[in-house]
Amino acid sequence: MSTGSDRAAAGPGRRTVLLSGLGGIGALAGAVGLGACTSGATGSTGAAASGGSGGGADALRDASGHAKARAFRGERQAGIIETPQTYAVFLAVDLPAGADADSVRRLLTIWTDDAEKLMSGQGTLADLEPELAAVPAGITVTVGVGRRVPELTGAPVPGWLAPLPAYKIDKLQERWSGGDLFVQVCANSPTTVAHAVRRLLTNMGSLGKVRWQQRGFREPFEGPGIPMRNLFGQVDGTVQPDVTGAESAMLWIGSQGPAWLAGGSAVVVRRIAMDMDVWDRVDRESRENAIGRHLGSGAPLTSPADAPSTAAADLDAKTPLGFHVIDDGAHMRRARGDNKEKILRRPYSYDDAPEVDPATGRMSGLSNTGLIFVAYQADPLAQFAPMQARLAEKDLLNLWTTPIGSAVFAILPGAKDGEILGQALFG
Amino acid sequence: MSRSTRALGARSVAASAALLVLAAGLAGCGSSSTTTPAATPGASTSAAKSTAVTDGPVTLVNGWVRSKDGVPPTTGMAGDMSMTGVFGTLTNTTDKEITITGGSSPVAGLVEVHETVKNDAGVMVMQPKAGGFVIPAKGTFELKPGGNHIMLMKMSAMPKIGTSVELTLTTSAGTAKLMIPVRNFAGGDENYVPAGGATTSMSGMNHS
Repeated sequence: MSTGSDRAAAGPGRRTVLLSGLGGIGALAGAVGLGACTSGATGSTGAAASGGSGGGADALRDASGHAKARAFRGERQAGIIETPQTYAVFLAVDLPAGADADSVRRLLTIWTDDAEKLMSGQGTLADLEPELAAVPAGITVTVGVGRRVPELTGAPVPGWLAPLPAYKIDKLQERWSGGDLFVQVCANSPTTVAHAVRRLLTNMGSLGKVRWQQRGFREPFEGPGIPMRNLFGQVDGTVQPDVTGAESAMLWIGSQGPAWLAGGSAVVVRRIAMDMDVWDRVDRESRENAIGRHLGSGAPLTSPADAPSTAAADLDAKTPLGFHVIDDGAHMRRARGDNKEKILRRPYSYDDAPEVDPATGRMSGLSNTGLIFVAYQADPLAQFAPMQARLAEKDLLNLWTTPIGSAVFAILPGAKDGEILGQALFG
Repeated sequence: MSRSTRALGARSVAASAALLVLAAGLAGCGSSSTTTPAATPGASTSAAKSTAVTDGPVTLVNGWVRSKDGVPPTTGMAGDMSMTGVFGTLTNTTDKEITITGGSSPVAGLVEVHETVKNDAGVMVMQPKAGGFVIPAKGTFELKPGGNHIMLMKMSAMPKIGTSVELTLTTSAGTAKLMIPVRNFAGGDENYVPAGGATTSMSGMNHS
């Protein structure tokens, strides 16, 4: 994955765009439309798909300095290997009881067109406020399906396209779990995300109903010295597979999967509640011990406190008293598997208003905080599930974290020219 | 006469917004020149492209047909399912002025070109556009909810969202065949005044 450097370079650009927007929405809208055309014509998907190395300062800006649009068409969908944008909405849709292959196809026809327009900075069809789409802010729209979709179209269903095994730490709620279709909308402007989600759902009409929707954010100023941190303060997403190189088969489905998923992927979305009130009681050393890393740098506890987060951990190192320096229950030790279990994490924090207690009609507690764990991989049962099983068995972080939602979706291949997303599902 | 003048004034703000939309639409990477195959007459699910295109002298950029699929019933007549509107940016690809006077479609018994004006009671009503839509040479003509539009009437069924509807325009430069995507849209209800006829409500929800 890309490092923080391109984000640092891009950050000021993003803000510049917002400022320039004050000069007149109309002018901005017109210019961005033209900019989108340029990026589409030059096939910027290629640069985006290179995992950020081709990004640099232009990752978020076009030649005019405007917030950049991304090309939609290609072998693979966008929104997976690009540097995660700052704001995201994840949503699952249920198909109605009478859904069939034709109605699914019509929905994917609509969303294909919507995604292509939104990613180029245009409003969708029937959008009376296309100005809200005119700052693309690096928006990506990524679409997946649950097992009901291939079942309806008669396509083979991979074994992993099902709920994950039950783990003893789970307290899953229906309101955050499952779904027949999945949409991930990410951008560096929350306004852009909100408008895109509204358009996608409005245009869906009666073809589907929202099952759940999760809103997340990352560190807007992520860059050198400013990592993505979850709301426990932990540096997140430290170790990632080399998805553009030798380990790309861990991310993308190739000949090992059904033909309709060639070029696609799989995503696991887990909503992890974080008990901030209990975490407050824990001293800093215990917090670091729970994860096996320095909170400040994210480096393993066997490295100096100012080492890079990617420093190799010495899992055998012991204290003078004979205990492992990296605790036997430390999250990093328990998460570590063999080299076949790598996943591409794209996590977002959530920090919503506390839930309302129905008994009193008032908010309960001080916080409603956690992590939207989003991980892409080729086979969740082979990659995510063994890791999660180890963590469910033993992980000090389980004291403060509770999975309350879980869903698995097949991420469709990209739509090439003239195709809709999921084209191969329909023969 | 004074009626239409007033209506124009009321829409001047909206009109400038439409210009903005138009600019963005034109910047759409030349998608208007893409040819969408019109494989199935009437309705089709094959058209992935949103841009309705033609083998004739006029294209419809970012065109769409309003479906009332999924629109909750409002008060009154709860949606007349026998008619709906076509919107987008009519674009004259020739170097001569073109007038569009009507059309035909496998899904509609009648196709008319309409304008939306404010009547003496201050209510927005739509009515057949006398003289048709005039598109300047190499120019454009905006069709939008609450404004000028093409009306599909006497339909046997509301077209389904995610399909495309075939529409053949009758123009002064010959016919233009379009395949136009169908989309969900909650707005766009207007009162309809047939030429010389009495007001009928499309849905009972008047714009005021």
